[in-house]
Amino acid sequence: MLIDRRTAGLIIASVVLALATPALAQFQPTRPLELVAHNGPGSGNDAFARTLAALFEQEKLVPVRVQVVNKPGGGSTTAAAYMASKAGDPNTLAVYTNTWLIDHLVQQAAQVSLYQTLTPVARVVIEPGLFVVRADAPWNNLKEFIEAAKAAPGKLKQSGGSITARENIVRQLLAKSTGANWAFISFPSGSERMAALLGGHVNLMMIDPGEGIEQVRAGKLKVLAQLADTRLAAFKDIPTVKESGYELPKIPQVRGVIGPPNMPAEALAFYEGVFKKLAQTSGWKKYIADNYFEDGHQGAAESRKFLAEFEGELREQLQTTGAKIVR
Amino acid sequence: MDIINGLVQGFSVALLPVNLMWCFVGCFLGTVVGILPGLGPAATIAMLMPLTYGMNPASGIIMLTGIYYGAKYGGSTTSILLNIPGESSSVATCLDGYQMARNGRAGAALGIAAIASFIAGTVGVILLTLMAPPIAQIALAFSSPEYFALMLLGLSLVVLLSGASIVKGVLSLLIGLWLTSIGTDLFTAESRYVFGQTVLVGGIDFMVVAIGVFALSEVLSSIESRDETNVLPVPRGILNLLPTWEELKACRFAFVNGSLVGFFVGVLPGAGSTIASFISYGIEKAVSKHPEKFGTGVPEGVAAPEGANNADSGGALVPLLTLGLPGGSATAIMLSALVMWGVKPGPLMMEERPDVFWGLVASMYIGNVMLLVLNLPLVPVFAQILRVPVFVLFPMILGIAMVGAYSASGRIFDLALLAGFGLLGYLMVKFRYPTAPLILGFVLGDAMERALRQTLMMSQGDITTFAERPIAAAMLAIAVLILLTPLLGYFNRWRTKAIEG
Repeated sequence: MLIDRRTAGLIIASVVLALATPALAQFQPTRPLELVAHNGPGSGNDAFARTLAALFEQEKLVPVRVQVVNKPGGGSTTAAAYMASKAGDPNTLAVYTNTWLIDHLVQQAAQVSLYQTLTPVARVVIEPGLFVVRADAPWNNLKEFIEAAKAAPGKLKQSGGSITARENIVRQLLAKSTGANWAFISFPSGSERMAALLGGHVNLMMIDPGEGIEQVRAGKLKVLAQLADTRLAAFKDIPTVKESGYELPKIPQVRGVIGPPNMPAEALAFYEGVFKKLAQTSGWKKYIADNYFEDGHQGAAESRKFLAEFEGELREQLQTTGAKIVR
Repeated sequence: MDIINGLVQGFSVALLPVNLMWCFVGCFLGTVVGILPGLGPAATIAMLMPLTYGMNPASGIIMLTGIYYGAKYGGSTTSILLNIPGESSSVATCLDGYQMARNGRAGAALGIAAIASFIAGTVGVILLTLMAPPIAQIALAFSSPEYFALMLLGLSLVVLLSGASIVKGVLSLLIGLWLTSIGTDLFTAESRYVFGQTVLVGGIDFMVVAIGVFALSEVLSSIESRDETNVLPVPRGILNLLPTWEELKACRFAFVNGSLVGFFVGVLPGAGSTIASFISYGIEKAVSKHPEKFGTGVPEGVAAPEGANNADSGGALVPLLTLGLPGGSATAIMLSALVMWGVKPGPLMMEERPDVFWGLVASMYIGNVMLLVLNLPLVPVFAQILRVPVFVLFPMILGIAMVGAYSASGRIFDLALLAGFGLLGYLMVKFRYPTAPLILGFVLGDAMERALRQTLMMSQGDITTFAERPIAAAMLAIAVLILLTPLLGYFNRWRTKAIEG
């Protein structure tokens, strides 16, 4: 090949920018649009894909039916391999999360690079995180918890998902910068993590706001701090981690949309436009508000650049978690 | 009194003609989905959710939940008739259900499954009605040490499931434990036993193992026997297609056992109906006067697991509705549907949306009656399938098995795995290794390993933590007792011999 993939991507991106408006008129999907989710029904990712599909049809953003296809297996590995096999197909998209970048870094079998092999279409949302403890816990802010953890090393516990998940990276970074030490217990499902916290078997959990807001409202949990750049509208009284006195590198939890390798430029431009329009609809704004997300909209070129930089940062941060980096 | 007021309000919602209709639609779709192997309730609810966007939340959740518990009624049909589990929660039903069919009691087995489902399903809803908030608090007291003890208790049942040779049973169990460890380890994010294959990184699907070991091996065995006249007997006359009074009487304890075990295991967010059905089957065998007959087609071997997986539906709604914690994928979709309608499942739901909460609970009483009425008349119809000649029936089983295994994951590789497990199952049967312990090991192994590692991480490696937690300690003690029973048998035989000598 005379030009490498990244250059090709840049060329495609600039062509897209140049042709943005006329290209929209040129491409229209003719077959049902396949939207791939890397988990089974019932997962957050599947729910996100189905919301997108419903909004696409409701707001008439695509002229065809949208079908969610589940390709579970090995985190994102199966879904990524499936997307890689669809080179040039203008009717298949997938929703991605941080997992896609992380699996590629820590799994030998996850060979597909999110931004080099596949075609980033748009970044869509950023999920903030909340540090929660039981309402009857003795700590009222993040500092008190960290001081308590320092006083009794290894005694306090946090429930979470895989060790490569954001909550563990954040824990390791906080522990490293403060010298505190508390345990991280992995549970496969969000329900089990929350049940362990509510039952008092662990002391701390970092949640998506949508996951535990009902428990906060019912007075069963309290929020110590929020992991967001600025305070979220729904949590005006809760300090950010930075305001609590801790500096952390940016670790956004993102969701976005990816196309297969060598997606035709007109198709890419069309879908990029779809997400631009989606971000303006009232249905989307309601969804963002209901789930306490931040709108993280970025177009194709921008999100590709973001993913490349973010992968570099994740590689560095994952080292601290003890996960084996293979790429 | 709150409960009675709530139920009255609930029935006033559930008995609205439109809600009765949606309840029926849900139960009907659930039955169909349950009968079809591979198509599960989770996928169906996810597909139908967009249709409910415009619906009133009570109607919508009544229908989606109908699919959820209706699927468990339907799941037993193919387990009994074809040895192909319709859902993972019906795998335990294969053990005695298919044997009953081979003995000419297919109709009876289907009838018992429907009746057990009805009784236990209704008991599950009654328990949900009476004690949802307090039982949710008990569920929260359950954590990793208790889960480990529960899984170990389940595994100790291998002793009971293994039949003549305990050594062979344990070997079979170990294969199951190994198979379930294939995939990505949650705690280290590293792959185990994947041999560099991307397809194995996610682990092996339970349905592929179960269909291969049960259905495919059965087809292979029958090819070997080359006995074309060996059609499964189907008695004539409608009365002979229904369970006899003796069979129902034999199931008395199984109905209670299935109801209680199913409900309480269902309440735990980390267990699920597959585990509930196996534990209930094991308990049934443990207390039976004739445990040696299990696996040859005893009616209580069908009633216990079928009851448990239906009582589980009521149990699973407890953490969903009162804590906002779904225990499985189907309930997770129901949660996101509720959130979409603006109903917020959690500690405040009973107060804030009593119409939805009690409407749903009341609809489940009605739904269980609908399902019984829907399923019992189908029994004689389905039983006729076995009249199909063997040269048609077995290719049909093969086809359904392949479709079921493929549609669970959508991967061609799973068909190769299915063939492999079919061969494994065939060889095991041929050399008289029991297959049930393999399935049990596969179901429980993963959760048991996780719970043990979580426990030890929580206690900083201190194993005495089990002794300090009464629920865990009690279950571990029972597990040890069960494990010791065969030794007791040896001792007795040795003593008898000694006395005779």
